[in-house]
Amino acid sequence: MINDKNSQKIVDIIQNFARQHSIWVLAYGTGCGAIEIPPTMTSRYDAERLGVRGAATPRQADVLLITGYLTTKTLKRVIRVYEQMQDPKYVIGFGSCTINGGMYWDSYNTIKALDRYMPVDVYINGCMPRPESVLSGFAKLQELIQAGKADGAKKYKENLEWYRTNQKKVIPNWHMPEYNW
Amino acid sequence: MEEIKKAAIEKITTHFREVTAEQHNGNRVDFFIGKEEIPAILFYLKDEMGYNHLSHIACVDWLEEKEFEIVYIVWSYTDKIKIFVHTRVDRENPVMDNVDMIWRQANTYEREMKEMYGIEFTGLEAPEEFLLEDWEGPPPMRRDFDTEAYAREKYWERPGREDARDVRETIIERTGEELPDFAKKYKR
Repeated sequence: MINDKNSQKIVDIIQNFARQHSIWVLAYGTGCGAIEIPPTMTSRYDAERLGVRGAATPRQADVLLITGYLTTKTLKRVIRVYEQMQDPKYVIGFGSCTINGGMYWDSYNTIKALDRYMPVDVYINGCMPRPESVLSGFAKLQELIQAGKADGAKKYKENLEWYRTNQKKVIPNWHMPEYNW
Repeated sequence: MEEIKKAAIEKITTHFREVTAEQHNGNRVDFFIGKEEIPAILFYLKDEMGYNHLSHIACVDWLEEKEFEIVYIVWSYTDKIKIFVHTRVDRENPVMDNVDMIWRQANTYEREMKEMYGIEFTGLEAPEEFLLEDWEGPPPMRRDFDTEAYAREKYWERPGREDARDVRETIIERTGEELPDFAKKYKR
């Protein structure tokens, strides 16, 4: 039955509906932006009404939030975390540091554009983004999931070579497991 | 307070010959001493005078004078004043005695200085990499290390920020304020 094109469409719609309303965010904060997550999650803004909640381990999580600047040291850990996450997985770049370096544009140890090293589905700009912008970012991600356009993980698998080259350029001692998806 | 400061200066200057003292406002006294005397003066401060709290070890890069200045800041819980002990080491071949037999926590500061300024400490425990992982460039906190050029070369930059500039230039343009002479030297 699944091979039937129309039934596949219905299955996709149901799947996307379910995914859209249960976004589990990995409880992992880099840089300074993680300070905006507690107000987003707690009673004032209450992100859980959108189905956004924390997950303890990478394998349980759907979304990796990169909250702020990424040093090359953290980038290594973040890549490992991202590669351990199960499909479907999405990345949200949070704050201007992930977009163009922000105030760390001339720092010797931070990367300046996150999407060279990992596929990013949604960017939230601001330094720092307020909880309202964070929620609007999550709403945008929900829209993309519903439309089936949040395909960062697919992009990563297809262009793994390109991402790896960029990653290895800033991480000289590459002692990472090579995953075989 | 003033009497305590005077007494401290008196004690140190009588015990160590090649030392100059400087009094500051508030609870601070500075001593300038050669680098060979550092373990001796710190031992003396800790054991004889009760300055048993090491607040910080700082490093200053005097590029023009080709020297590093290392500053040990110690505090006494009874005297309630802090003593700064300054010393200078050669910038070309920076070697310093380590003082972690006096304070165990000095090791952390020394490892950081080794990594950020390239100062070698004799007999340093755990001299391997500390905070910077896989660092290949020169010590990054030295003033002759060009952070911006390094970042531009190593990390890909998204187009659109070419007009990013020194905030001081914007201030000059808007207010007509003149920069002091020393600041002009460091203009990007």
